[in-house]
Amino acid sequence: MASVRLENLRKEFGSVVAVKELNLHFPDKKFAAILGPSGCGKTTTMNMIAGLETPTRGSIYFDDRRMNDVPPGKRDVGFVFQNYAIFTHMTVAENIGFGLKIRGVDEATIRREVGQIAELLELTDMLNVNAGRLSVNDMQKVALGRSMIVKPRIFLLDEPFSNLDAAFRAYMRGELKRIQREIGQTMIYVTHDQVEAMSMADNIAVMDFGVLQQFGTPDEIYNQPVNLFVANFIGSPNMNFIPCYFRSEDGKGYLVQKRGNARILLDDRRRQLLEQHPGNQDLIWGARPEHLTLHSEPSRSEYLRATVRFLEPLGPKTVVHLELGDQDTIKVIAHPSYREKAGTVQWIEINPKYLHVFDAKTGFAIR
Amino acid sequence: MTRRPTWQIVLRYALVLIVVGLFTFPTYWMVTMAFKPKVEWSTAHGTIYWVPQNPTLENFETVLTEYRGKFFRANQSSALPSIRSSIIVSIGGTLFALLIGTLAAYGLSRFSVDTGDLPWYIALGRLALLILVLLPFMVLWAWLGIIRYWYGILSFTLLGIGADQLIGRLLALYYRGPTGSLAFSILQLRMFPPMAIVIPVMIMWSAFKLIDTWYGLVAVYGVVTFPFVVWLMKSFFDEIPRELDEAAIVDGASNWGAFFKVVLPLAKGGLASTALFVFILNWSDFLIALLLTTRDWPTIPVFLNSLVSSEIGAQHGPKAALGLLAVIPPVVFGILIQRYLVRGLTFGAIKR
Repeated sequence: MASVRLENLRKEFGSVVAVKELNLHFPDKKFAAILGPSGCGKTTTMNMIAGLETPTRGSIYFDDRRMNDVPPGKRDVGFVFQNYAIFTHMTVAENIGFGLKIRGVDEATIRREVGQIAELLELTDMLNVNAGRLSVNDMQKVALGRSMIVKPRIFLLDEPFSNLDAAFRAYMRGELKRIQREIGQTMIYVTHDQVEAMSMADNIAVMDFGVLQQFGTPDEIYNQPVNLFVANFIGSPNMNFIPCYFRSEDGKGYLVQKRGNARILLDDRRRQLLEQHPGNQDLIWGARPEHLTLHSEPSRSEYLRATVRFLEPLGPKTVVHLELGDQDTIKVIAHPSYREKAGTVQWIEINPKYLHVFDAKTGFAIR
Repeated sequence: MTRRPTWQIVLRYALVLIVVGLFTFPTYWMVTMAFKPKVEWSTAHGTIYWVPQNPTLENFETVLTEYRGKFFRANQSSALPSIRSSIIVSIGGTLFALLIGTLAAYGLSRFSVDTGDLPWYIALGRLALLILVLLPFMVLWAWLGIIRYWYGILSFTLLGIGADQLIGRLLALYYRGPTGSLAFSILQLRMFPPMAIVIPVMIMWSAFKLIDTWYGLVAVYGVVTFPFVVWLMKSFFDEIPRELDEAAIVDGASNWGAFFKVVLPLAKGGLASTALFVFILNWSDFLIALLLTTRDWPTIPVFLNSLVSSEIGAQHGPKAALGLLAVIPPVVFGILIQRYLVRGLTFGAIKR
């Protein structure tokens, strides 16, 4: 196993910059995810780690060895593609044993190793089946097995489960995490699905437009997003964003809504921070729907007045869409049995612990 | 759906029958003629025999043996050497074209840096410029008297390649956009009518002493059918997802390993149909073989031509017999690879 370190990694395709000066360190034996919308450069990054693409600039290190000039076959990585890339002219056993055969391992050893992998992935009954006849789910298993058999130092997975049906995807997620923990495999997983990244990874790198936005644990990404993009990308339903400005009155700091008059009282630390912030007249505050509570009475003065627009009952929870001030919409997650009618006035409680403030110009979080 | 009136159905099948009849009649005529004795195939008798009255194998005997003095006054050689020649040069030419064409197609499919469509005026303009640049050199080479020798031809060819590259580079300096593409240049090889290039090729081949040799013909057939192989195989390779090569490469295979162990086996259906197509082209060529062979290596079409001459008259029966024999290899080849001719074997490897 090995850690992966990227230093000022850059990739251009003609005039298009796919990855911009990327600095990242994926720790050894950990499960890391690269998360981002399509076209954000995550697959390009992965291909550069595997050696399938040559970086325009920058370095790739496995542990302390620079890998830029090492051909893909010698990097000792396993790669699972989104579309499996199964060799349909071979049997399942030949597919799984491919890497060993290329390395000139003798037949008996190959058969033994293939047997072990097949058992692990529950493919034993299908070893002699032509791989082209497999179901999509089994193809993905074969692809996993083919990469696992060479015992790679780093396991790269490029959206491996996005074509699977929902139930099997959840199952494979669990299996992959179990295998990763069991053998302490360094894994890097590319996905655009935040649920996959949050549920499996130890560390998540969020990317957009070829630029790394944030790298941290799922908790950090979720609770302390560094900018509007990360805050918006993580979480479903996504975070509420309300444009506002800072005002100081009688030694107290407030965030005042721009399209309305909803005011949020700030604690001292935040007040001082924002007082010194040059762009404090152009801010956005953000709060996740799950961190807001609805009340029918304004029992405390900090509660924000809002009007119910419509409900989205999702089963385990209900998403309430409300109007705050003139035009701002705010979503709140309420109890599944919540059934207030449109037009009802409600009072929103914001937990200051979960309040995020961003500079509207730069998009960065202020904290 | 309402049933069509009977007369419409009858008319439709009648039309189908007429068209099928038109297309199959020549084949029928050749097959029957091959088994007719001379009185039946020659018009001298004045009667047309639609079906052989006295089936005989004498046409085959005639065409496959040396002169036996039965029909011909002149010396008549056996067709056996020409059959041998056809088999060797057709297969050789096909293999040659497949070997270089498949590799080129894979390269173009996977590693090509050419992007964008070439506008016609750039393609033609580039060609015109090249001819303009080369013309004075051609005159000079002729004046020096070296164009007739192998070193003259070789140096002129290298000069042509160099000039083409130079024009491409210069064009790229002033024209933003694609100024040339290798794939297109290869296709361009086919844009000349064969008649236009076969005479120069004949002169070159004679300088290289390649006239009337099997390898001379193999080389020409290989080059002439090379563009077909490249374009057909490229389309087959394009359909095989790149991820398959990449998966093999990440697992430790070299580029060649990925090609031979993964891509080529997956494209074998395409390879088989390309091979058949190219083989038929080579097998049925008359013009090139006529000009590049003399005594030892004429192919079947050339030999067939020799069965009509002022000395021996028109030997329709033996011609039909040899024609029938010549049909066999492509048909057999076609039947052998029939299961590969069904495309779509590689689909399903990837979920799109």
